[in-house]
Amino acid sequence: MGKIILLVFLVFAELMSSETDVSNSEILQNKCLSCHLSQQIPDELIYRRYLMVYSTHEHMINAIFVYMKNPDKKNSVMHHPFFFKFPMKKKSNLDDTTLRNMIQAYLMRFDVKNKFTDID
Amino acid sequence: MLKSEKKSLIRFLLIYLLSTFLLFALAGIMFYNYETEHILDKQKDRLGHQAQKIKTQIRTLHNTFDKALVYPRSELFESAIYDSDKNYIMGTYTKIKVLNEEKLDRHANRIVHISKVEPYYLGAAYLLLTKEIDGTLLWELQKSIYMFMLIAGVFFSILGIFLGRLFIAPMRSSMEKMNRFIEDTTHELNTPIGTILANIEILESSDKYGASKELNRIEIASKTLSRIYDDLTYLTFNHKYNKCIEYLNVSSILEERIAYFSSMADIKQLAFEVNIEENIYLDIDNNDLLRIIDNLLSNAIKYNKLGGEIDVCLTNRSLRVRDTGIGISKTDIEVISQRFKRANDSEGGFGLGLDIINQIVIYYEYVLEIHSTLEEETIMEIRWER
Repeated sequence: MGKIILLVFLVFAELMSSETDVSNSEILQNKCLSCHLSQQIPDELIYRRYLMVYSTHEHMINAIFVYMKNPDKKNSVMHHPFFFKFPMKKKSNLDDTTLRNMIQAYLMRFDVKNKFTDID
Repeated sequence: MLKSEKKSLIRFLLIYLLSTFLLFALAGIMFYNYETEHILDKQKDRLGHQAQKIKTQIRTLHNTFDKALVYPRSELFESAIYDSDKNYIMGTYTKIKVLNEEKLDRHANRIVHISKVEPYYLGAAYLLLTKEIDGTLLWELQKSIYMFMLIAGVFFSILGIFLGRLFIAPMRSSMEKMNRFIEDTTHELNTPIGTILANIEILESSDKYGASKELNRIEIASKTLSRIYDDLTYLTFNHKYNKCIEYLNVSSILEERIAYFSSMADIKQLAFEVNIEENIYLDIDNNDLLRIIDNLLSNAIKYNKLGGEIDVCLTNRSLRVRDTGIGISKTDIEVISQRFKRANDSEGGFGLGLDIINQIVIYYEYVLEIHSTLEEETIMEIRWER
């Protein structure tokens, strides 16, 4: 009986997790990427720039979070000419947790670890 | 070379060679450690040059950022990149997941080179390069040190022998002089003692002096001298003398010697209690058997009290002599077998007796047992049957 309950719980947890991923992906698409796409924001360039400055996703999330909450050249690692070409973003109205999740999902799209091949 | 010389030379050589070896071993270890560090530093430097190449390749990968990134590889070394939190990102060396520079200096017998990457291309803050230590150079170094130690060992051994001989030369010279003196003196004693004893026998057979107390005393003194002469001869020439092992009748020889010593015992009014089994035979050199018997009997007489007893018991297992004399303390029993050591200095003799007995007992693998109670008795037993 105990085993069955555990199994049901695990299946439920997996389903919830998948649903969360799906919902995060949907929110990212609707709230962020749709706009990025229309404005032709170079996402990969931004990722590389932040990666080069902050090294880890955790630090990158914190830095991008600060920028999203208070969009300003000072809070960005992008070069100044970047903002001539691409307009300054409006302040995010997402709650902190959702925003962090969005940034996380955004970064995972380019995750450098997943890009490596031919390695054991 | 005398035994004592050999002993001194061996002791000197041991101390000299051991201290020289320790000194050279210490110097060798220090030199080996220093050279090892030098060799490893060189190998590490080469890794440092390789690290620059890898960094350039990482920067290129970062700039291109293709869909599939191929991590740079080399047959000469393995490498890995780590983020600013020192966590593993990617690499050909996967065994270190979290970078800890302090613990990595000699990781699993490998050289490890860690350098910072700035800016963090591909998120890499640290680049680790590692390869197995090239043991060939270390082995060459070890071989050189072993060879040096061997040559130094041979050289210092020869030098040690030369020095040792030089140091013991004065001692050898004085010992040779002393031995020559003892040999000459011993040889010179033989003729007068023989003459005295022969003349005493002639006088004893004559009516005029036959029963004279004075003659008796001269006889005893001469016999004592004769026995000391025999002991000295035995100790001095023993190493030049080839033992002639014969199947000897110990019973009859013992009886003869008791008779020989009876005049000495009479002067102290000692009573012999003799219990000798007949026809006890032993494979032994005649002179050795005489030395044992004479020394046991003479000690029993010498250290006995006036009017005491001497029990002599011979069986097929042992020869036992008991006297009712001064006895020997337990501590003295331990050292009494040493040459020139006497339990009590008040009596005559040179302490040679027990040393001779001890030498003979060791030679024939017999067992010498001494039991004694101070002021009561001493029992000396030589056992040949175990």
